[in-house]
Amino acid sequence: MNKTYGCIFDIQRFSLHDGPGIRTTIFFKGCNLRCFWCHNPESINLQPEIQVYAHKCIHCGKCITVCPQNAIYKNGSSFVFSRDLCMKCGKCVDSCYTNARVMAGKTVSASEVMSEIMKDEPFYNDNQGGVTFSGGEPMLQPGFLKTLLVACKEKKIHTAVDTAGNVAFEKFAEIAPYTDLFLYDIKCVDEKKHKQVTGSNNKKILANLVLLDEIAKEIIIRIPIIPGMNDTDEDMHAIGILLRNLKKVTKVQLLPFHNMAESKYESMGMEYKAKDLSAPKKERMQQFASIISSYDINAIAIS
Amino acid sequence: MENGFTYSQRLEALLSAKRIQTEKKIAKFGRTIDVDDRGNLVVPDDFVFSPVPNHSSGGFFGPYACGMNYKKLLHEHPVTVDENTGLLGSWMVMLIDYKKPLWNPDIRFTHLHKEQKMYDIVHGIGGVQHFLADYSLGLQLGFNGIREKIRFYEKSSDASKKEFYYGLNECVAGIYDYITRHIARARELAEQINDKDRSDNLNILADMNEELLKRPARTFHEAVQWMAWFLVAGDMYNGGASAIGDIDRILKPYYDNDVRQGILTEEQAIFYICNFLIIDNAYCQIGGCDEFGKDNTNELSHIVLEAVHKMKIPASVCVRVHENIDKDFFYKSVKYLLTDRTGSPNFIGDKAMTEGFMRNGYSRELAVTRVKCGCHWCAIPGKEYTLNDIVKINFVAVFDTAFKDMMNSGNQPSVQLLWDTFVRHINRAVKVTAEGMDFQIEHMHEVFPELLMDLLCEGPIEKGMDASNGALEYINLCVDGAGLAVVADSFAALEKRIEINNQLTWGQIDQALKNNYDGYEDIRLMMKNSDHYGNGGTIADTYAQKIVKEFVTAVKKEPTPNGHNMIPGLFSWANTIPMGKAVGATPNGRLAFTPISHGANPLPGFKDSGALTAMANAVASVQCGYGNTVPIQLEINPVTLKGEEGIATMMTFIYAYLNKMGGTLMNINIMDKEKLLDAHKDPSKYPELIVRVTGFCAYFALLSEDFRKLVVDRMINE
Repeated sequence: MNKTYGCIFDIQRFSLHDGPGIRTTIFFKGCNLRCFWCHNPESINLQPEIQVYAHKCIHCGKCITVCPQNAIYKNGSSFVFSRDLCMKCGKCVDSCYTNARVMAGKTVSASEVMSEIMKDEPFYNDNQGGVTFSGGEPMLQPGFLKTLLVACKEKKIHTAVDTAGNVAFEKFAEIAPYTDLFLYDIKCVDEKKHKQVTGSNNKKILANLVLLDEIAKEIIIRIPIIPGMNDTDEDMHAIGILLRNLKKVTKVQLLPFHNMAESKYESMGMEYKAKDLSAPKKERMQQFASIISSYDINAIAIS
Repeated sequence: MENGFTYSQRLEALLSAKRIQTEKKIAKFGRTIDVDDRGNLVVPDDFVFSPVPNHSSGGFFGPYACGMNYKKLLHEHPVTVDENTGLLGSWMVMLIDYKKPLWNPDIRFTHLHKEQKMYDIVHGIGGVQHFLADYSLGLQLGFNGIREKIRFYEKSSDASKKEFYYGLNECVAGIYDYITRHIARARELAEQINDKDRSDNLNILADMNEELLKRPARTFHEAVQWMAWFLVAGDMYNGGASAIGDIDRILKPYYDNDVRQGILTEEQAIFYICNFLIIDNAYCQIGGCDEFGKDNTNELSHIVLEAVHKMKIPASVCVRVHENIDKDFFYKSVKYLLTDRTGSPNFIGDKAMTEGFMRNGYSRELAVTRVKCGCHWCAIPGKEYTLNDIVKINFVAVFDTAFKDMMNSGNQPSVQLLWDTFVRHINRAVKVTAEGMDFQIEHMHEVFPELLMDLLCEGPIEKGMDASNGALEYINLCVDGAGLAVVADSFAALEKRIEINNQLTWGQIDQALKNNYDGYEDIRLMMKNSDHYGNGGTIADTYAQKIVKEFVTAVKKEPTPNGHNMIPGLFSWANTIPMGKAVGATPNGRLAFTPISHGANPLPGFKDSGALTAMANAVASVQCGYGNTVPIQLEINPVTLKGEEGIATMMTFIYAYLNKMGGTLMNINIMDKEKLLDAHKDPSKYPELIVRVTGFCAYFALLSEDFRKLVVDRMINE
């Protein structure tokens, strides 16, 4: 385990929304979809990168003095950070007094992750809680993921993998024996629209879901409700039809869009395309849940 | 029926009278009441009490003067009877409030002053009560039995005990007088009102109380009434006896008997318990197990829980959790915690408390009888003198002393040298604390003996000796440390910034601290943004564990010079504000004179997210291990834990922390952040908002701004 490395950007303990019970969620870095509303923009790239929180900066200029690339410089009273010049050495992060500059993502060994997971082991309570591997897309680091899953099962810890499903099915087959629960994200059923809003078509995603239904222990479907993307009754009917014959799907969770990621986009120097969207109304979320439920599926709107 | 006389209507009327009292308190005292809401009524402006002094300082000291003045106070104190009540009993002021000066100036401890100040030790000299009376014993004897017992032992005692017995007799006479005046008032009120139900009720209560002056309680109603009297009497002396302990065990025989005879319904029982807790918000434990691990939960455990749930007033009821805890009872207690949002109940872990106490050399059989009865503490009813929660060492002051000591020593500063110096001072601070506690046990009885508690303990009446003077079978003195996180984070920041990263020098830090970081904001931020205790596995976590280990070793390596056992714990109560005011800037980026960290809790904001389990791990890792608590204080936004899933999650969390991780006590605020912030701006908008401050709960609107801020700051960083 000491020799298997991966790139993660966060470990969240006392996580209550990524599967049953009290969980520790490991966020893998790197994703092969480009959903324009992504709530975790720091998860997209596979490599570590620097985030800058301007409101925390005290303009001491320490970062300028330590940067070997001269990637940070003063322009009048404001600081400019040239990401093209940056080689992500992290010296500016280490020297920052206020944590205004932080490194999103770090390379860690599987055993380091396991020791963090084991800290909350008493709370996992006989499989009512456990560990969730999320991201990003955890299945883009299959070796690292499998090592962690196997290690968790050796400790009899409940495991969940949160995936968008856009990988070869063999990857699923590899990890399914060690995965107690798949949290499977579906954006929309319409292929063209899917391509438009995520940059990829959904053929593989939908096909994998059907195949996974044969080998998985349990699947929970998660659907982000994004205004203008999938917030029509028709979208929900399509999802209902897609899911109605699946055997392992125990629950569908509808997750409302939120724009709390805005500061993260700023910190990454990225454009936030979903900035002007507003969260769907509670009643609407309930309606969507009842549409899916009408296909004899247990659907819940999460608030 | 608007003016009906059902139990729920009466309870509503009693609660509305309590609301009026709360409003009166705000009007009279402003927002300055930084202690538990004890159920005392507001004293009329024209009430004047002048104690009779027996000393040139104007004070009154010793059993004779204290007993006599207590009787005088009870005779002059106004009596109040509510027409809806199910129990007689009311109180407004305490004798201790009129005890000026508190300590006899002839009995000096100037030899301890210098070091007590240097380490900012809350020394406990002059500290009252904070141990537990034995209510089972009291119920068995009744007031008349207590009087007879005093007479019996007084007869065969020598002249040296005369003053002590005089004091006890005066106290009992005072209680008789006070109850008799309540009876008279009840009869008078019964005459005045034109409501037959209420009038009959008052006469029944008067009759019952007349009986209770002659004989012990026989029914559940009588037993609760008797306990209410003793609580009130104890509070009016020195705020003492305001704890019951395991109320479900104590009242069980009376409950069973009445139910068997068909004279008590569950509704009545809940009403009496409500009434009882309105009169005096007593610290109680419910649940727990016997020495064989068999669950103690009974009908009374549920009834007490229901009473607290029904009223939603500040309460001090604690659930004792163990591996075989009744699932329904545990579920209900967690559900009420999450939905009532009054900070009640809190949860104590039987495993760590019992096994820890046994490490002092006691049997399991005895250890399980040591029950929760104060903010953060347990005691054996009637048999143990403890000084719980009134002796504290400010770790931050000890650190500050060590830092200055090292910088002035002429030696090359280093974290290792600082650590060695700190350890030396911790040992010295414990020693000075121990000497102070011996002094208390030698002299307190000459100043303000525990006459009320003496009545319900084993030993004082028998030996003619005060509980504070060594009359009880066990003496286990509580020594708490405070400010752990500030010191752990300070050590970690120094090690990281000076010795690991070579970013700063000792001289720079020294200058920054001396100037309270004025002109050194960059250094302050750098120190503040270093490792924090609580994240697990950081340098700061290692320091926190090392500090506690040294503290525990210092407390346990030998008893006090007079041979009394000490038990370590970590709890700052609400002393975080005054303790902060005693110490200058610290290397963790804390500014001078600002509050220190709470008990063993990490500093607010120590972690961005997922802080609950991280905090639980951290506090579990710094338990002192000898049966006194190292509580964890948690602030939880209710949106985190909703519905049945929320209850299940919280049950898992509490169960794991207390049964698997060695945790001792959990104090939990379920608090809507927006509401709290709004209430902080204008407390009058939320007169009934209840918060858990530390070991106690209080109306938010009654707290001072400093205290409100304390709670708000914790919540903001949740």
